[in-house]
Amino acid sequence: MDNDYFSIDAILAENQKIQCTFKVDIPDMGHLAGGSDRDIKSLTKAPIPIWLAYIMLFSDWADFTIPSPFGTRVRNALKAEPRSVKLSNLVGAGGLWYGFGKMVMDILSEEQANGISEVLTKVHCLHTLCDVVNSWFIQAFKGRLLEVIDQAQHFAALGPAGGGGPSTDTAQSFREGLDGTERELFALAQESAKRMKRWHEGNDKARR
Amino acid sequence: MALPQSLRTSVTPLELELIASEQLVEIVPLITMEKTAFISGAYGPLRPPAKCRIPLWMATNLKLKKKCHIVPPEWLSVDFLLERLTRETSRPEFSKLPFRFAEIAKVVLDVASDDVQNADKIKSLLKDLREARQAKSRDGLQKLDHSELSLPNLCSMEINEIRPFFIQSMGILTQLVREPSAE
Repeated sequence: MDNDYFSIDAILAENQKIQCTFKVDIPDMGHLAGGSDRDIKSLTKAPIPIWLAYIMLFSDWADFTIPSPFGTRVRNALKAEPRSVKLSNLVGAGGLWYGFGKMVMDILSEEQANGISEVLTKVHCLHTLCDVVNSWFIQAFKGRLLEVIDQAQHFAALGPAGGGGPSTDTAQSFREGLDGTERELFALAQESAKRMKRWHEGNDKARR
Repeated sequence: MALPQSLRTSVTPLELELIASEQLVEIVPLITMEKTAFISGAYGPLRPPAKCRIPLWMATNLKLKKKCHIVPPEWLSVDFLLERLTRETSRPEFSKLPFRFAEIAKVVLDVASDDVQNADKIKSLLKDLREARQAKSRDGLQKLDHSELSLPNLCSMEINEIRPFFIQSMGILTQLVREPSAE
């Protein structure tokens, strides 16, 4: 989540690719775009991992489009019902949707702060977009958080023997759709609830 | 860190129980003992049938050796808990309870349920109380914010239960909320 140098999560999230459009010709780098061309021509589109994209965007060699996991479709779906979106499908197994999104957001706000984007109107556009994406992230997270915790506590209450039980389809698919960050939260809440349960039910007189 | 993963996130309920065991409770001793100095202070003298205040850990120890009766704290009674339960279910805020009530109630009920009147009724009341309060802290989760969360009158055991994931989710929110400097 945090953009720390030593954070494994940050490194994993940086591995996601974003679609970039080159603004300049880059000689002898055609293999990066995956094609057989020798050079990268301007206006070529190529998916580039974020860790590489930073330098290209900030040096004004390329522009990027908002990646599809954060596109309008997902945004509208999340606005309609945050709990019905499978975040894990959007960024691959064990993916960090929030971490990835945070990086995209950082790039957006950085561009805006550095005034890299040439036209003033575009800066303005970026600004609002950034705010929208930001508030929308928080809403998505908050909207899903309660369900994450509820389910974690439910599963902790089932005990070690449980696991089957009459779990509904919606709950099941919600669990499958948790992204890496939410999974961590789920585990924390479950562990804590389990511990409390063990304590409440235990009566170890032998210990005393 | 040398601690196992399970102990890093927060204090365990058992550790909280240990801390709560330092609190004083009233007992009716069945043995005589002179005033004795311990690290946490001097307790006694024990002179049956006069009541005496000693730490819970010592009371537990004596009780298990059948050398005293524990006088349950005044809040550990059906009347008090019933009143708190109605207040808990009828009002939005947490009602005021002793900070370590969960730990003390558990210890007293575990070792000295014969000294407590209506122990079973009290147990079920405590359970109801706990569930009512859990529902409220769940509501608190909805109001979660990246900078602060105010749940007054939450007790130590409850704080400890929600601590790991509340902290984590607040951390995530802090990351998601863009710093004002970037505006």
